[in-house]
Amino acid sequence: MSGYKIRKGKDIVFIIVITILTFLGILPLFHIIATVFINGIPIIANKGISFLTNTLSNGGIGPAIVGTFILIFLSSLIGLPVALLVGIYAYEYPESKIGRATKTLLQIMLEFPTILVGVFVMSMIAIPMETYSAIAGAFALAIILMPYVAVYTQEAMREILFTYREASFGLGLSRVKVIFRILVPLSKRGILTGVLIGLAKVAGETAPLLFTVGGLYESYPTSIMKPVGAIPLLIYTLVQSPSKADHMMAWGASLILLLIFLLIFIPIRLKLKEVRL
Amino acid sequence: MREYAIETKDLKIYYGKKKVIKGINLRIPKNTIFAIMGPSGCGKSTLLRSFNRLLELNKDAKIEGEVLIFGKNIYGENVDPISIRREVGMVFQYPNPFPHLTIYDNIAIGLKLNNLVKSKEEMDKRVRWALEKASLWDEVKDRLHEYPASLSGGQKQRLVIARALALKPKILLMDEPTANIDPVGTKNIEKLLFELKKDYTIVLVTHEPAQAARTSDYVAFLYLGKLIEVGPTKYIFEKPKNELTEKYLTGSLV
Amino acid sequence: MKIKRLDMFQIITSPAVIFVFLLFILMLSVYLYNALPAFFREGLDVYFKNTWQASEIPSKEYYGLAAAIWGTLYSSIIGVLIALPISVAYSIFVVDYAPKKLKNVFIIISDMMAGLPTIIYGIWGAFILVPFLQKYIMIPLYKNLSFIPIFSYPPTTGYSYFSAGVLLGIMITPFASAIIREAYQMVPFTYREAAISLGLTRYEATKILLGYIKPAIVSGMILAFGRSVGETVAVSLVIGNSFNLSVSLFAPGYTISSLIANQFGNAYIYRHMLPVLYAGGLALFIIGLIVNLIGIYLLRRWQKNVRI
Repeated sequence: MSGYKIRKGKDIVFIIVITILTFLGILPLFHIIATVFINGIPIIANKGISFLTNTLSNGGIGPAIVGTFILIFLSSLIGLPVALLVGIYAYEYPESKIGRATKTLLQIMLEFPTILVGVFVMSMIAIPMETYSAIAGAFALAIILMPYVAVYTQEAMREILFTYREASFGLGLSRVKVIFRILVPLSKRGILTGVLIGLAKVAGETAPLLFTVGGLYESYPTSIMKPVGAIPLLIYTLVQSPSKADHMMAWGASLILLLIFLLIFIPIRLKLKEVRL
Repeated sequence: MREYAIETKDLKIYYGKKKVIKGINLRIPKNTIFAIMGPSGCGKSTLLRSFNRLLELNKDAKIEGEVLIFGKNIYGENVDPISIRREVGMVFQYPNPFPHLTIYDNIAIGLKLNNLVKSKEEMDKRVRWALEKASLWDEVKDRLHEYPASLSGGQKQRLVIARALALKPKILLMDEPTANIDPVGTKNIEKLLFELKKDYTIVLVTHEPAQAARTSDYVAFLYLGKLIEVGPTKYIFEKPKNELTEKYLTGSLV
Repeated sequence: MKIKRLDMFQIITSPAVIFVFLLFILMLSVYLYNALPAFFREGLDVYFKNTWQASEIPSKEYYGLAAAIWGTLYSSIIGVLIALPISVAYSIFVVDYAPKKLKNVFIIISDMMAGLPTIIYGIWGAFILVPFLQKYIMIPLYKNLSFIPIFSYPPTTGYSYFSAGVLLGIMITPFASAIIREAYQMVPFTYREAAISLGLTRYEATKILLGYIKPAIVSGMILAFGRSVGETVAVSLVIGNSFNLSVSLFAPGYTISSLIANQFGNAYIYRHMLPVLYAGGLALFIIGLIVNLIGIYLLRRWQKNVRI
């Protein structure tokens, strides 16, 4: 009987350990969110709307916000078409050698060190152009965006029931029409989710921007061929500065970034069943 | 020589190495309801899909022999499988109207993508015609821009029939169309079939011999990929010649 | 006729696929090409020496990436060691113990952590985590156990391999737990039934099930490792950015990615630094590639064996 008691004892210890470890695992998220809010709100409350509209020396991150949106927009323009086509290809040819190699390549690119993408784009675009630019940053972000959207597109289309495929072909349509005119629209929800998740991710990326966009915080961007700023990049710069005032700005900017992230991420996530980042 | 709507000549179908249909010779007369019955797994659905070359969606499927639609071998040299499918429409086991399209668009999409219709007025007319032919018009005429989710199972299936009819095929293949429909919906669809046979040839795969008895003019009994017996429905049901057929009809064959 | 139709679809989609493959190969080539001068000048020593002598006089320049490579591996290993128990525990908790309504909440939390911008981890790490670790863990350990080599470096600032490892561990846990949780969920119900029907306690039953998914856990950790070697901004803000080659947890160090992030800006002043940084990038590229390929391969192989 004491043997049983020991086993039962181990069981209870086990459950306790598991629970503790689990909460240790999720604690950081709450702590991070709380910290960002606690440190960021005073700054923003202090400056009000001007935090969002002023230039840096006037205590605002306006140009960075605009820069981030420009980069999101441009990188979508560049990356989405390729991503969709690759995802559709991977859906249609899951068994072929190329199809499987594509899936593997996408998996690899999903986890590829983003700093390497940034340096690559720098050498291919920024250096020949002899300037940092929004377009260079957009290319770097597009390369990072592409595998996310491709994988989500492929997964979304994989969920389509075979009977809809049969029905579409049964109407006497070519493969191109079946896929692009019926099946892709049919999965548009899943695809859109993938797009939004990908964009949420690239909006928060810093490393790819380090050597491509240059940074622009004292004036608003006027050309995509010229340097531009971005919120994550600004935070990175400010954190490394010795000035306390800069650190406070960094917290404020982090709060804005966090809000943008949460605003995109939570609604999508609530609508979707399972998400793999 | 009488031309049949569908005629198969020594048709064999393989999934990989497995022979699923073993040398079938079938003749389906025009403007009849031709039922194919048999226990599950005997190859009925596979056989049906060889009539509109939908079988090819499965990469493992291989076909030997001939399938003649109105005298023309659809597996011939220069035949385009895509155009075959406009001539031979299909209705499926699970009512599958496209969920992301409105009732109207479900029918319009086949017409639009096949470039069969030139103007909005023509489209409206065709959609209405197809829905009337499928006995669905009165029930949905006021909600053409709603989604199929608001329809009952039987209505969904009639929408699918309308979707197929819109392309004006000559033959309609039906793969256990009432298997997932309630009895009232089933009755409505069976009634519809009698109307449709005036203008179309209907091949009805059914899991229910009683349905074949109720609706069809001819019936074929398929067992383990072989054609066991075929003939006018009355004769097959009243006096089957083959022992297997009799066993199936009396329920002693699984 | 059939062949003609097929071509249309492939004509539209293949270029995109080919483009992506070519892009990847191009990236690899760019790193290789730009790293060559470093190989010619220093040979493979560029990977094995720990030194960083930048100089206005080109002939005096000499660089070695050993510190960076060591830091990358060391901090990521610490990260994986931390992530392992937590992600396994997390998966078990969510699948076996969490009340049904909360299950999804936990998964959403995990996904949020996976997607959270890394710079936010970075700022939190630099301003909050590091001081915390320094005060409550590093200094006590140093005060009392500094005779043990891994605790022997004085934690003067807190920026160290240890801080980087902890932060990385936090960052890669959601990623690893997604893989492990999926595998754990996939264990056929019959195994769970069998374990419980044998009168085993939860603990014993779970041990058996974990054994069943061990390859998935291993792959998950390998893939998490691959993730963490590539992490840049968060790590560079907490690791201290110094050329050390130390096993001491509290010593500051470098990782390849943070080295590149730090030094690339002024690399243009010097003649020979740039190729070395590219060589570092190449090493990171290849480490990441190999680790991820192994992880993907193991995971797929296990999935294939498990699915009936």
